[in-house]
Amino acid sequence: MSTNFTEGRISKFDSSGKNNQLMRMRFKITRMAGYMILILLTIFSIFPLLWMVLMSLKDRDETYSGNFFPSHVTLSAYQFVFSTMNIGTYMKNSLVVTIATVLISVFLATLSGYAFARLEFSGKQLIFLILLTTLMVPGAVLIIPLFLLLRDMKLLESLFGLILVYVGGGLPFSMFLMRSFFQSLPAELGDAGRIDGASELGIFWYIMLPLARPGIATITIFQFMGTWNEFIFTNTFVHVDANRTLMPALFSLMGQYSTNWPALTAALTISIIPIVALYITMQNQFQSGLTAGALKY
Amino acid sequence: MKSSVIPDLSARKQRQPFHMTERRRRALYGYLFILPTVLFFLVFVAYPFFQAIGISLTTWHGFDKQIFVGLKNFKSLFSDPLFWLSLKNTLIFTLITTGLQTILPLLIAVLLIARWRGEVVVRTIMFLPVIISMVVVGLLWHMIYDGNFGVLNNALTFLGLGSLTHAWLADPHTVMGSIIIVSLWASLGFYVVIFFAGLQGIPVELYEVASIDGANTWQKLTHITVPLLWPVTTVVMILNIIGGIKVFDVIYVMSSGGPDHASEVLGTYLYATAFSNQAGDIASLGYAAAIGFVILILCVIGTVIQLQITGGRADVY
Repeated sequence: MSTNFTEGRISKFDSSGKNNQLMRMRFKITRMAGYMILILLTIFSIFPLLWMVLMSLKDRDETYSGNFFPSHVTLSAYQFVFSTMNIGTYMKNSLVVTIATVLISVFLATLSGYAFARLEFSGKQLIFLILLTTLMVPGAVLIIPLFLLLRDMKLLESLFGLILVYVGGGLPFSMFLMRSFFQSLPAELGDAGRIDGASELGIFWYIMLPLARPGIATITIFQFMGTWNEFIFTNTFVHVDANRTLMPALFSLMGQYSTNWPALTAALTISIIPIVALYITMQNQFQSGLTAGALKY
Repeated sequence: MKSSVIPDLSARKQRQPFHMTERRRRALYGYLFILPTVLFFLVFVAYPFFQAIGISLTTWHGFDKQIFVGLKNFKSLFSDPLFWLSLKNTLIFTLITTGLQTILPLLIAVLLIARWRGEVVVRTIMFLPVIISMVVVGLLWHMIYDGNFGVLNNALTFLGLGSLTHAWLADPHTVMGSIIIVSLWASLGFYVVIFFAGLQGIPVELYEVASIDGANTWQKLTHITVPLLWPVTTVVMILNIIGGIKVFDVIYVMSSGGPDHASEVLGTYLYATAFSNQAGDIASLGYAAAIGFVILILCVIGTVIQLQITGGRADVY
């Protein structure tokens, strides 16, 4: 593997000098090996998901046949998932929680990120540092007191309680990303607005917000993914079936219908549709946004 | 525009006090803008955090009276064999995933950057598992690993390796390794993309100059790529270390720490201690909170050691 690392990047350089046939042969072989490795990696990444989708299209009788492709494609598992497993409710709950969390936390993180980046007030650095240190605190530390807090607020078993917890947990990181985004914008823009007599709110709303779109896309993706995929809090704080979100529901369905693989894989497939749809529409922001976020962290 | 600038500035110069109130007004907006964030933080992060410290110093089952016991919970951890087992498993999981999920993505990224047809497709597909919840990933692989009808065993039989078929998650010897593979599958694309972005930042000229000087591919890797990627590598390792120490979802849904605690990690042990529904076991919140702080302390230690070893580059954070 070590022979073809950078060959491609410098190939122009190499081949222009020596037109040696042996070199070219070697180059061809390493390229072939490279393609092989990449193809295998792609298969490794896609195969489980492909298997999942194909299994969900199978007839229940065919579950254990060992056939990779369904002998005849049927959507009966999907019917079962909606009629018997009640996945529509869980889906709706997850969507409500996720969209509310994203809207609230993106709005608040943008406001505070802007303030930390561009407004001057005393104690700013200290408050910022305190908010930042909590990025290290694992959910495991907070889960017991949060459970008690929601119990005292009579918000256990409710979607609203979940939304509050998710907003609180996600805000510091989103604020941090928005702050560095606003810092990358020229400060003169705000000053120009001030000179023209715009209010601070006006500057934020009419000048900064439109420019902050790429940053907002990034934190939207982070929050959407984090909330949609979150498991431990929602599994602990909500047990009433009518208010369950998708992830804990999938987990308990796995126990209930452990042998009905077409139905289970259909449920899993449905559960990833919103996030995959978001990924396909915002693919570049996904990769650049998530990695940029990680590097800043 | 120019005409509006000049009178405004002159007005400011004349009336100095107005400038002060202007500054104060901006500060007021600053506080106003951060207020909701700070409030959310205080109620849902800071207050629970300090409460967790309090709980960890008590004996409490959630319904009875809290009894202050000082550091007793932390002392009890030392003589708890299950705690030590969970700690050992957590460290093993963290060590192996950090190793695999740093070296493999680095090599793949180095390979991937060498201009391939369809490189974007490969990256897109490899990134797909990254966006999927660990719960879904865990449940999916649970079926793949199934001892009787799992596709992995089917594949092994098909390849003539029928003797290797296994109830992967039910065997204490294979459960950890199986889960680690799942972790690798789910995160590979993420770290590849991070390294890929880092590699794009290395000027091609460096490799060209090295070629002129007669450096071979291996030398270019060890003398250019690895040193210049060091800051990115540090970040990847820290993310891996913290992720490994905090691991919960994937293990909880795949094995719940079993069989016979073979895959018990600190996260699952904490959860079982705090929210156990098993008959006979009563939840012990003080003890669970203490485990939570062990997780926190390990995260801090892991990060500090990592920064020490790699000579912490503060500029990447």
